[in-house]
Amino acid sequence: MSKLESPSGARSGGNPPSHATEAGGPASVTRRQFLRRASVAGGLVAIPSLIPGSALGLAEQAAPSERIVLGGIGIGNRGSGVLGWMMGEKDVQFVAVCDPQKSRREKVKKMVDSRYGNQDCAIYKNTPEFLATRPDIDAMLITTGDRWHALMSIMAMRAGKDVYSEKPSCMTIAEGQMVVKTADRFGRIYQTGNQRLSEEKFIFANELLRTGRLGEVHTVRAHIAPWDAAVMKHDWLPGQPLPSKDEADWDAWLGPCPWRPYNPSYCRGGWRGYYDFHTSCIGEWGAHTFAQCHVAIGATDTSPVEYGYVNNPTGDGMVTRFANGIKMVLSRGNKWWHGSCGVRYEGTEGWVAVADGYSRPEVSDPKLLEGFEKTVRDYTDRTDRATSHVRNLFDCIKSRRPTVANPEVMHRSMSTVHAANICMWLKRDLKYDPVKEEFVGDPEANRLRSRAQREPWIM
Amino acid sequence: MTNPMTILAATSAVQADAAATKETENKLIAVFKSDAPRKEKVDACRQLGVIGTKNAVPALAALLGDEKLSHMARYGLEPIPDASVDEALRVALGKLKGRPLVGVVGSLGVRRDPAAAALLAKMLENTEADVAPTAARSLGKIGTPEAAKVLSGALVKAPARLRVAVAEGCLDCAEQRLAEGKREEAVALWQAVAKAGLPKHFRMAAARGMLLAREKPHKR
Repeated sequence: MSKLESPSGARSGGNPPSHATEAGGPASVTRRQFLRRASVAGGLVAIPSLIPGSALGLAEQAAPSERIVLGGIGIGNRGSGVLGWMMGEKDVQFVAVCDPQKSRREKVKKMVDSRYGNQDCAIYKNTPEFLATRPDIDAMLITTGDRWHALMSIMAMRAGKDVYSEKPSCMTIAEGQMVVKTADRFGRIYQTGNQRLSEEKFIFANELLRTGRLGEVHTVRAHIAPWDAAVMKHDWLPGQPLPSKDEADWDAWLGPCPWRPYNPSYCRGGWRGYYDFHTSCIGEWGAHTFAQCHVAIGATDTSPVEYGYVNNPTGDGMVTRFANGIKMVLSRGNKWWHGSCGVRYEGTEGWVAVADGYSRPEVSDPKLLEGFEKTVRDYTDRTDRATSHVRNLFDCIKSRRPTVANPEVMHRSMSTVHAANICMWLKRDLKYDPVKEEFVGDPEANRLRSRAQREPWIM
Repeated sequence: MTNPMTILAATSAVQADAAATKETENKLIAVFKSDAPRKEKVDACRQLGVIGTKNAVPALAALLGDEKLSHMARYGLEPIPDASVDEALRVALGKLKGRPLVGVVGSLGVRRDPAAAALLAKMLENTEADVAPTAARSLGKIGTPEAAKVLSGALVKAPARLRVAVAEGCLDCAEQRLAEGKREEAVALWQAVAKAGLPKHFRMAAARGMLLAREKPHKR
């Protein structure tokens, strides 16, 4: 749980954290500057809608002035875990779920009603209707499959909602750009599900690097998933009879993706490994680990400029290079870690490695672990960020400060995922210009930065 | 049919061999004229999206009215960097209905075809589902002075169901006008959005835009 209380308003002092990325490029007003002026100009700062506790039977919960009203879209197994995490926060009230699959929306309703001891969780089948008819909802939890993360987030933000989107949060570079643009344009708070950016042992590893205790960092290593390949499938599973639209709206499930015959296997997680629905073994864990590395080295507004093709099915061993010379190497398997979603930072004076399941990071010298608690405390004091990913989101919804896994962090780390994938698909080295956001001298690679979306779900 | 990724890699491997690529392209185009199953035609569209040239445009454009292949035809057409794609999409506007029409309207916005602005303006009055909102957003992406005029006029007249999409188009258009140094045009759009009686986050977006306009150096 968070060490911090919810802030009652904007942060009163201190410099912005070095990892925080404000909105837009060099010529843009930062979000903080804009909101300060907008609130002076006349109360334009969005505040959460309020539902009286008495109406929700929540005598023990936070007062209406402190409560965030939450809805959810596409909540399955992973999403239920995140939802449970969110409902544990006293100032959050989940009120409605939308899903094209009946079994899933009913399961979520049951979970939520059981939690609150009532029958009040509303259910919806149609996302545009859901977004248009619930102005009372402040924020949306989006845990659909990967194919929908970006477009659903964009739709929710256009409807005035703040967003928590599971990762990988976009399927293409173009989608990531649109998420950033939409969040900036409407002043929305957005968090992608890179929860390790809020976990103490990963924070500590990043702080070791940031404070120079590893010396000059030359190499970071990012874990990629041990299943699936970089080159994904296009085949169709055998078509099965379509269920009723109420049971499962296949058209809505597919959304912007190319049509294919219905097969229930896709809806049960069998979409992984398909080009239309997945970002490969690289994106599966790279969505996490690349973001960790980007944030650790301060590359929150850029991506590597070089991608070295490796002749294997997975991208294992690919060396990418940032403009400042730091290498990021993709690694699969257990060579560098004994847990999942690992990162490792190597400098002239030491190294640190951390993954899921570690109680503490592993380091080149035990002395590097000294002051663990103080380092984490100093981080939270400096950044005003909770060491809980969902708490960070809700704090930022109230304060309107950028989250730790904000749109720019998401977009730039996912751009690295996409560039690495494209490198593997084209089977050649690539150079990327992160300012222009295009591949250098490579029209084929540039064609793969976007995909035509199936109507009517066009960004 | 070979995995499209294999075709992609093979084509890349012989990138310098234009004749081989052309031969592959011709083979893919020939699939559309055959009685190949739908999946094979879908895969051909996908591959042409990566290697297709203006030579593939007529064959792909001919599929725009086919409800089962229209999206994949656009999947193949959208990335091809040739003006014939825009022309084909504009021609299709006058012939299509329903979801294929929505798709073509959307693709013209993705390609930012300035010559489509007048045609898309007419689509704002189309009553089929999703056509008018998609047209509004496409006009926003096109972002020309003509598009700006259409959108700001539509914001005043649009029925409630369309006003949000038109406002989104105005916001997009305004940012592009500003990027081209046309600050007054951009500010006019943002002011129109601010006064349109829309939800608070639209007024915030308009205010943000006007702040951007104040801080950006005015290009002469």
